[in-house]
Amino acid sequence: MSETLPPVYGGEILHIHLDTGETEIEAIDPDDARRFLGGNGFVSKQVAAHVPVDADPFDPENVLAMAVGPMNATAFQSTSRGVLGFISPLTDGFFDSTFGGTLPRAQKTTGFEVIVLHGRAEELTYVLITEDGAEVKSAENLAGQETYETCQAIRDREGTGYDTHVLAAGPAGENRVRYACLLHESKLREGVAGRGGSGAVLGSKNVKAIAVQEGDFQPDPEGDLRQRAVQQMGRLMADTEMLQNYGTAGLVNPVNEMGKLGQRNLQYEQTDRENAEAISGETLREEYVTDDTTCANCAVKCGKHVSIEAEGLTEAKIPEFETLFGTATMQEVYDPEYAIKVNDQCDRLGLDTISFGVTVAFARECYEKGLLEKDISPHLEFGDANGLIELTERVARREGFGNELAEGSFRLAASLADEAEQYLYGCKGLEFPAHSARGLKGMSIGYATATRGGSHHDTRPTLQYDGEHDETIEGTAEFAARIQHFTALGDSLTQCRFVSEGGWGGRVNENYAEAVSLATGWDLSVEDVERIGERVYNLERLINTARGIADRDTDTLPYRVMNEPIPAGPSEGMYCPPEELEDMLTEYYEFRGWNDNGHPTTETVERLELEDMAEVLSHQ
Amino acid sequence: MNIELRFFATVREAVGERAITRKFEADTTVRDVLSVLEGEYSALDGMLLDDGEVASSITVLHNGVHVTHLDGSGTELVDGDRLAITPPVTGG
Repeated sequence: MSETLPPVYGGEILHIHLDTGETEIEAIDPDDARRFLGGNGFVSKQVAAHVPVDADPFDPENVLAMAVGPMNATAFQSTSRGVLGFISPLTDGFFDSTFGGTLPRAQKTTGFEVIVLHGRAEELTYVLITEDGAEVKSAENLAGQETYETCQAIRDREGTGYDTHVLAAGPAGENRVRYACLLHESKLREGVAGRGGSGAVLGSKNVKAIAVQEGDFQPDPEGDLRQRAVQQMGRLMADTEMLQNYGTAGLVNPVNEMGKLGQRNLQYEQTDRENAEAISGETLREEYVTDDTTCANCAVKCGKHVSIEAEGLTEAKIPEFETLFGTATMQEVYDPEYAIKVNDQCDRLGLDTISFGVTVAFARECYEKGLLEKDISPHLEFGDANGLIELTERVARREGFGNELAEGSFRLAASLADEAEQYLYGCKGLEFPAHSARGLKGMSIGYATATRGGSHHDTRPTLQYDGEHDETIEGTAEFAARIQHFTALGDSLTQCRFVSEGGWGGRVNENYAEAVSLATGWDLSVEDVERIGERVYNLERLINTARGIADRDTDTLPYRVMNEPIPAGPSEGMYCPPEELEDMLTEYYEFRGWNDNGHPTTETVERLELEDMAEVLSHQ
Repeated sequence: MNIELRFFATVREAVGERAITRKFEADTTVRDVLSVLEGEYSALDGMLLDDGEVASSITVLHNGVHVTHLDGSGTELVDGDRLAITPPVTGG
């Protein structure tokens, strides 16, 4: 057990009670730092400790916790990442959503490693955080404002320009669209906490935005992190060249070439090469990218601005690969200018592009199959690009059928005939992103067991695209579980996933053990740091089992993934039939030390030093 | 025989073309094609092969299938095949 907190930590947790405006400061227990490390681990503990297991995500008892990690604001590249933790309005389970930019580094310098919003404000507010604490301020004049407008208005009001770092909800968040996101506009780039509905949770608390101003705290690593960071730069830059030049949009062409890129709500998984080229990173770079953008302290600069000069759209954020899947290929819209415009609309209104796109694609297939009335809404035909833009407004404002779409595909399906379930693409209430649940075996079991449901940041697809566990189930359950440890560790370090996978490796390895040891002064092995990831993942599972949303029945895949093989192309015939999933689940639970129903056993809880968390959850 | 070669991302920048179709001798392997490309495009020299195997800095898809699932750099090609050469798929 650690006796003192390493000086790389700011050392404090700031609790903000929105009902009264009062705050309290809690010291970080050094043993919690050793067990949970930061970021993902810290917000998991806050959610476990403070949210009753029967609380609705929109109840004031839900919290929104925002944490940074031990290496944030150090010499290490690409660590200005923040993690939000909350109970998701989509999954009803624990959710962590990360974002980049400059706010996370600013938060670190306040000394507050974790900021927790409790309760609900009486009127629309924003929360300003400095090293002295927090102030809850009126934001009534910001009601209905878009995200960028909100960031600008708060910067203007505080009078320090971009030195006030703002994370804001759009109208979608205020209207509790279940997949409302939060957008951070910094001087260097935009960052989006996209998934799971963090914007809706903030909206339910009557909070329009969180603003942070820098303080004087500087982390003091125990070892020479600067020298280690310099040593890593060469490989890091070499291995992230694709991201530097094309952003994540560079994935469109190769993933389509593999025949693993969902089209028309997954009715098929490969489009003509001309279609893929039209929305590819190569085309966006050649015709629309105007400049590279970056998070604080990151040389990779994977962010891009794009402009459509003829339409007066300038310096919009480039659509990410996942966005191109949700709003282009899933809709059969292969026009890059529409992809840019829809993405910009979603950013402005505060909508997660993945859940929005997949929900609309689901509705469009239901409409096609006659499960939705002809006059229920315009714009429900595949290929309707203009209609997609129109639907963003209707969803964000909950107007007409937009009110149904705002609930997400799973709740919409529940209101339709049983057949509708055959067209869902997601699990545990969260729509899947671009990485094929049929064409990548590691994603099949990875999605089914993901804390967040349809998340590609629990089990990652990266190594699978390089030929590992993409087409075999042998050893794939263990692979998926250990990658989940890797992502939980990385999100507890709050290190950029893209850069860490490229520069450090896609599994927990000595690079991670050395970095954590240098930062904290703890002498940790590779096994030790992987166990941190395992512990955090198991804590998430404990929260979700206590809430009754995670067991063998819910660790499942949608009908199409289990019953309809990919119909054509290089991945033709691939899917995950129920018996294959059952075999992988059994192997997965055994590897994890969970019982047959997918619950961590007492022995596992003890091995991972989670007895206190299990005890807390049993009384929530 | 004719082989279609498709290039993505930074490999495309090095070649300067989206795709080309080239004639190769019968029994040509992936290794042979990569070797020819390394010799022909200076920006690719040393990038595609490492001791005769596909370098870790690139991914090669044979008719959309990762060559690691076939015979790697020894994968034999037939007339009309398609090779896509791309940096490893990262991010997303």
